[in-house]
Amino acid sequence: MMPLAPWHLVPALIVPAALIAPAHAAQYLSTEQAQKSLFPEATAFVPHPVMLSDSQRAAVEKASGVRLRFVRPPVWRAEANGRTVGWYVQDEVYGKHEFITYVVALDAAGAVRALEILDYRETHGDQVRNAAWRAQFTGKRHGDPLKLDEDIQNISGATLSCKHIAEGVRRVLAIHQNILATP
Amino acid sequence: MTVVRARPHLGTLVEIGARGPGAAEAVDAAFTAVARIHRLMSVHEADSELSRVNRSAAALPVAVGDDSWVVLKAAQALAEESGGLFDISVGARLATLGLLPDHGAPPAPTLGDWRDLQLLPGRRVAFARPLYLDLGGIAKGYAVDIALQSLRDAGMTQAWVNAGGDLARFGTEQVTLQVRHPADPARLVPLLSWRIGAAATSAGYYAPQRNGVPQSPLIDPRTGRPQILDRSITVLAPTTLLADALTKIVALDPARATPLLSAHGARAFILEGRPDGDVAVFDSASACLPEEVSHV
Repeated sequence: MMPLAPWHLVPALIVPAALIAPAHAAQYLSTEQAQKSLFPEATAFVPHPVMLSDSQRAAVEKASGVRLRFVRPPVWRAEANGRTVGWYVQDEVYGKHEFITYVVALDAAGAVRALEILDYRETHGDQVRNAAWRAQFTGKRHGDPLKLDEDIQNISGATLSCKHIAEGVRRVLAIHQNILATP
Repeated sequence: MTVVRARPHLGTLVEIGARGPGAAEAVDAAFTAVARIHRLMSVHEADSELSRVNRSAAALPVAVGDDSWVVLKAAQALAEESGGLFDISVGARLATLGLLPDHGAPPAPTLGDWRDLQLLPGRRVAFARPLYLDLGGIAKGYAVDIALQSLRDAGMTQAWVNAGGDLARFGTEQVTLQVRHPADPARLVPLLSWRIGAAATSAGYYAPQRNGVPQSPLIDPRTGRPQILDRSITVLAPTTLLADALTKIVALDPARATPLLSAHGARAFILEGRPDGDVAVFDSASACLPEEVSHV
């Protein structure tokens, strides 16, 4: 229990419950914007459909120690004048308090070149499992992230662990090693 | 044009926003600065400058760069002013609790504390007894300061950096500083309106859990035991480094922290959830509200 200071005896202010609003989602970049930003030299992004077989799925999960979210992870091959310059792999992680869509940019050899968050949504108790609630975010990803400009609010106290992102990156690297790197 | 990006760094999500000519490049450069501080001061990386100090400084003095030196100096000053309430040598306790990695460094139960950390001429660091320094309570704040300075140097008209609740901003626009509800972190409490400044919040709501018991990373150096926070503490200070470190001192002993807050031109808020859903805000400066900060 925290010991008290004199100023900690009487509240200076009571913030009424009515003013306490749910945290909102933040959209940072659309897929197209992230692609341009992570591979400025690329001249084309070629969708690279990956359909994992059961054995590939097992290999990726074994190599990364993380369960796969998608059977068909969204992958693009970044090309500069016909030459492969890298891979753009989009992934999502669900933590206790947040959903994060992020992208890993890999160079042609499969090393992580950059990591960028596309969007971030807070979880709100059991609404999390509610499909309708989740659907409200669908389609927003391609929205203009500059809208944030109109509603800049700073949140202090968001000490979120990036453990899930680190696990997700392991999964992406395993997808590269097991599928993308093998012609 | 305004650019807002987020990337994982420093064990959290770092959001950087900027408005001004060349904002995209300025934000990129600010992330590079954050990554540089992370590489220097992370105990999670075995080859960081800090891990090198932890491994070797008990045997012989280790020279460090400007950034680590500034942070270590500030940490030692705060340790002295707080009578050891702020102590970066709590890393050994955190490693024992499984909250920090042990890079083969000596979490053999070290008896040393901040007084065994020696800052020698020539930016050299030595340990009188084996120590495990953890800058988790201060380096994030420093990284935010460095990143915001780079945005200022890049000529941005408005910018902010938020590293998991350690946040600083400058600009012309008055915005609301929101703090997570201490009992319901997905809800935001409007705390005050600000334009420029630095703030940090410490709270227990995102503490890692083991067997359903929260493992607080805030160690009370007096007992060596984790302090579980059921309230949240937000500190406004001239720098994020100070705000970050002062939240820990306020969390452990608000009475003792009070003179330190005024000595550093800082101000603390303690937020407490009420059963009716309201949030009580205790303000260290409740006697005299500075004019530039007004409650919303």
